[in-house]
Amino acid sequence: MRVTKGAQIVAGTALLALAVAACGGGASDGGGTAAGGSETPVRMEIGEPQELLVPQNTTETEGSEVLAAVFSPLVGYDENKQPVEEAAESITTSDSKVWTIKLKPGYTWHDGTPVTAEDYKRAWDFAAYQDNAMSSSYFFGRVDGYNDVHPGEGKTPTAKEMKGLKVVDDNTLEVTLSAPFSQFKTMLGYTAFYPLPKSAFGPDGKVTQEYGEKPIGQGLFKLDKPYKKGTDQTIELSVYDKFTGAKPKNWTKLQFKVYTSSETAYNDLQAENLDIHDSLPASAIAGAKAALGDRYHDEPDASVGYIGVPLKYNPEFNNPDIRKAISMAIDRKTITETVFSGTRAPADDFINPAIPGYRQGACDACTYNPAEAKKLYESAKGPKTLELGYNADGGHKEWIEAVANNLRANLGIEVSPKPFEKFQGILDALDAKEYKGLFRMGWSIDYPSPENYLTPIFGTGAIETGSNYGGYSNKEFDALVAKGDQATDPAEGLKFYQQADDILIKELPYIPVYFYRSNFGNSTKVKNVKLNLLNQVEWADIEKA
Amino acid sequence: MGRYVIRRLIQAIPVLLGATLLIFVIVFALPGDPIAALFGDKRPDPAVAEVLREQYHLNDPLLLQYWYYISGVLFRGDFGVNFADVPVSQLMAGKFQVTLNLAVTALVMEAVIGVGLGLFAALRRGKASDTMILAATLLLISVPTLVTGFVLQLVLGVKLKQWTGADIFPVAGVFAGWRSYLLPGFVLAGLGVAYLTRLTRTSLVETLRADFIRTATAKGLSRRRVIGRHGLRNALIPMVTYLGADLGNLMGGAVITETIFNLPGIGNQLFQSVYLREQPVVVGIVTVLVLIYILANLVVDMLYAVLDPRIRYE
Repeated sequence: MRVTKGAQIVAGTALLALAVAACGGGASDGGGTAAGGSETPVRMEIGEPQELLVPQNTTETEGSEVLAAVFSPLVGYDENKQPVEEAAESITTSDSKVWTIKLKPGYTWHDGTPVTAEDYKRAWDFAAYQDNAMSSSYFFGRVDGYNDVHPGEGKTPTAKEMKGLKVVDDNTLEVTLSAPFSQFKTMLGYTAFYPLPKSAFGPDGKVTQEYGEKPIGQGLFKLDKPYKKGTDQTIELSVYDKFTGAKPKNWTKLQFKVYTSSETAYNDLQAENLDIHDSLPASAIAGAKAALGDRYHDEPDASVGYIGVPLKYNPEFNNPDIRKAISMAIDRKTITETVFSGTRAPADDFINPAIPGYRQGACDACTYNPAEAKKLYESAKGPKTLELGYNADGGHKEWIEAVANNLRANLGIEVSPKPFEKFQGILDALDAKEYKGLFRMGWSIDYPSPENYLTPIFGTGAIETGSNYGGYSNKEFDALVAKGDQATDPAEGLKFYQQADDILIKELPYIPVYFYRSNFGNSTKVKNVKLNLLNQVEWADIEKA
Repeated sequence: MGRYVIRRLIQAIPVLLGATLLIFVIVFALPGDPIAALFGDKRPDPAVAEVLREQYHLNDPLLLQYWYYISGVLFRGDFGVNFADVPVSQLMAGKFQVTLNLAVTALVMEAVIGVGLGLFAALRRGKASDTMILAATLLLISVPTLVTGFVLQLVLGVKLKQWTGADIFPVAGVFAGWRSYLLPGFVLAGLGVAYLTRLTRTSLVETLRADFIRTATAKGLSRRRVIGRHGLRNALIPMVTYLGADLGNLMGGAVITETIFNLPGIGNQLFQSVYLREQPVVVGIVTVLVLIYILANLVVDMLYAVLDPRIRYE
C-alpha cells in the first residue's frame, strides 16, 4: 500500500510546515529556455526512495515512481479504469481461481536478454518468501502455497517456492489462487508484480546491492548509471532502444530530482528548473492556480481519509446511530475547502471516485446535518466526551482540530484531539488498552479495484493480518465480498462489492471524511502530462513543447 | 607545542567513545518501533517485521547492540548500514562534503562581512552609520533563518530567474557548483554576521581604549598601523574563538537551510535519521561532528598562540 509517502519528504515538509503560505502569487511569464548541444532531460520531482530500487521491496510512492519508468507492468489501466494488458499478451481465467498469463513476445531486459515466464515466477517467489523480508510479500497472500513460504511470525517456511506458480513455457505462467479472486488481473499492475532478471540475484539467492542501485528492467527507461542513495541528488534515465511499447515522441532523457521539501520543489518548478511536480504543497495551491494557469492540474486521487472507530476496543460506539450522528456533525465541505485549500474533496462513499464502483452521494450520513445529528446523538445516548487520536508527523492536526470543533459545536460534547508521535503509536496504544478513542486513518489503494476499499480495512480476516484496525466484523459483509471475489464477470462482481459497500454505509464502521485529490503542475517545457490510476506519470504521452 | 597537540588528541578518545555510547542510548530510548516506522501508516506484516528486527539486531539488549556497532567501527572500520542497507560511510562521505562546502562558504561570509562591518562601526562609534549597523544586526538576529531563507529563495532564486532568464542564484540543489552555495551560505551566515559584527565592534572599541594603543599613537605610528597591527590583532582573540565554535554549529545545525535549498547535507540527514531512528547513522554523524568540534577548538587554541605570543603551550 502506498500510504507511505517517502519518509524523507514527509519529515522535510513537516519541518518547514511552520512557513505556511510563504510562497506563491505573481504571474509567471515563462522564463528562459535552456540551450546546449545535449538534450535537456524531462525533470520530475520525487522524494528520496526509502529503499534500494527493488520492486518487491518498494511499497512507497517515491521508489515506485522510479521503478514504474524502468519496468513495464503486466497490465496498465484504460480510460474506463479497467485493466488492459501491457507486458502481457493475455490474462485469462474461467473460474477466477486458475489464471493463465501469456507474455507479449518481444520484451527484453535492458541487457538485451529476453523476458521469460521464469523471470516472473522467480521474482514472485522471492517476494513471498518470509526470510527475505520483502515489504510487498502480502500481495502474494492469495496465491496457492503462500502459507508454505510465509507461515507467519516465529514459524519456519517449509518451501521456497509457491506451488500455485507454474511455468508452462517460456511465455506462459499459470497462477493458481487459494480461493477465487475476480480482481486478480487488476492487482497485476502493481510494483510487486514486476519480474526480476536472473542477473539480479547474487550467489546467496538474494537481490544484490548492485542491482538495487541500478535495476535492470524491461520497461521504457533504463538507468544511465547506478543511483547511490544518500549521495546522488538525481536519477538519470534514457529511453531503452529496444523497448517495443509506446515511446515518447520527441525526447529520450528523463531525470528524477530528489527533494526533501515540496515547497522547495514548487519554487524550482516556478523557476523552470523542474518540469513535473506531482505533490504540490497545500500552502502553494492557491498561488499555483494563478501562477501556473492551465499547467496546474487537479484530479481525483484514489486515497481516502477517515475517522476510525475502535469497535473492538470500546463498546461505547456499538450503536451505529452514534457513528451516524458523529458523521452528520462533520462539515466536510468547509473542512476540505478551508483546511485543505481544496486539495481534498468531501467523502460521500466508501469507494473513491477515481475507482469503478463509486456512487456519488451514496453515503447519506456523510451529508452535513447538525440538527439531525444532535437529535440522533442524544437519543442514542452517545458518550459525553470524545477523544480524537492522530499522528502528529503527517500534517493531520489542522483537520482533526476542525472536526473536533464541529463535534463540540454540533453535539454539545467535550472533544479532545490527542496527538501521537507516529500512526503506529495509536495502534499500539489501542492494543495495550491505553487508548480507546476515535482515531485518524488514511487508506491508499494497493490496486485500483473497489474490493481494495472493503476487504483489507473492514474484512473479518483483516483484523489479524490486514489493516482492519477498528476490528469491525460483519458476516453478511464478508459473504458479499466473497461473492464478489468469486464472480467471473466483472460487472457481476462489482454489484456484490457495491452491496457490501451499502452495509458499510449503513453501519459506518469508520467515518469517511475526505477523498484525496492529486495536485500537480508542469513547466512550460512539457505538455500533455497525465497520471494513471496508480498516480504514476504516463511518460509516453508527454511531449516537449 | 607538538606534545601539547598529541596530549589533546589523546584526551579526545574517551570523549569520542563516550559520545557514541551516549547517542546510541539516546536514540535507543526514543519512543516507537523503527521497523514499524518504515511502513508508514500501515501495520507491517509481523513475520517480515520480525525478520528485519533480527537482521538489525533490534531484539538484542542495548549493550550488545552497542558492542556490535562499536566493534564493527573499531576493528573493521565498518560504520554499519541504515535501514535501506546503504553503508553509513557512503552516506556520510557525500553529505559531509556538501555540508563542509556550505559551512566554509558561510564562515568566509561571516568573517569578511562581520569583521568588516564591525571594524567600520567601531571606528565610527556613536555616529549615524554605527547606529545603523547596530540596528541592522539586531534585525538580522531577530528574523528566523526560515524567513530569510524562503524570502531570498523566492526573490533572488525564483523571481530573478523569471525576470532575467539567467540562473544566477540556483533555487535548490547542488547542480551549479559553488554558485549553489551562495544563497544558502548567506542565509546561514546571517546570524553569525550579526553576532560577529557586534563582537568585533565591542572588542575593538575596548582595545582601542587600551594604554598600548595610546603609546603606539604617541610613538607616531600611522593610524592604519595602529588599528591594524595593534588594535585589530589584539581584538581578534574573541572573534577567532567565536568563529571556531561556529564552524561546529554550521556543520551540524544547518537543517533548515539545507531543507529549504534542498542541499543533501549532514544536518538534513541527521534530522531524517533521528526521525527514522537509524542508530548507526545518527551515531556516525554525531561522532564526526564531535571530532570536528574538538579539532576546531584545538585549532583555535593554536591560533591564540600565534595571535598573542605571550600565550605558550607546553
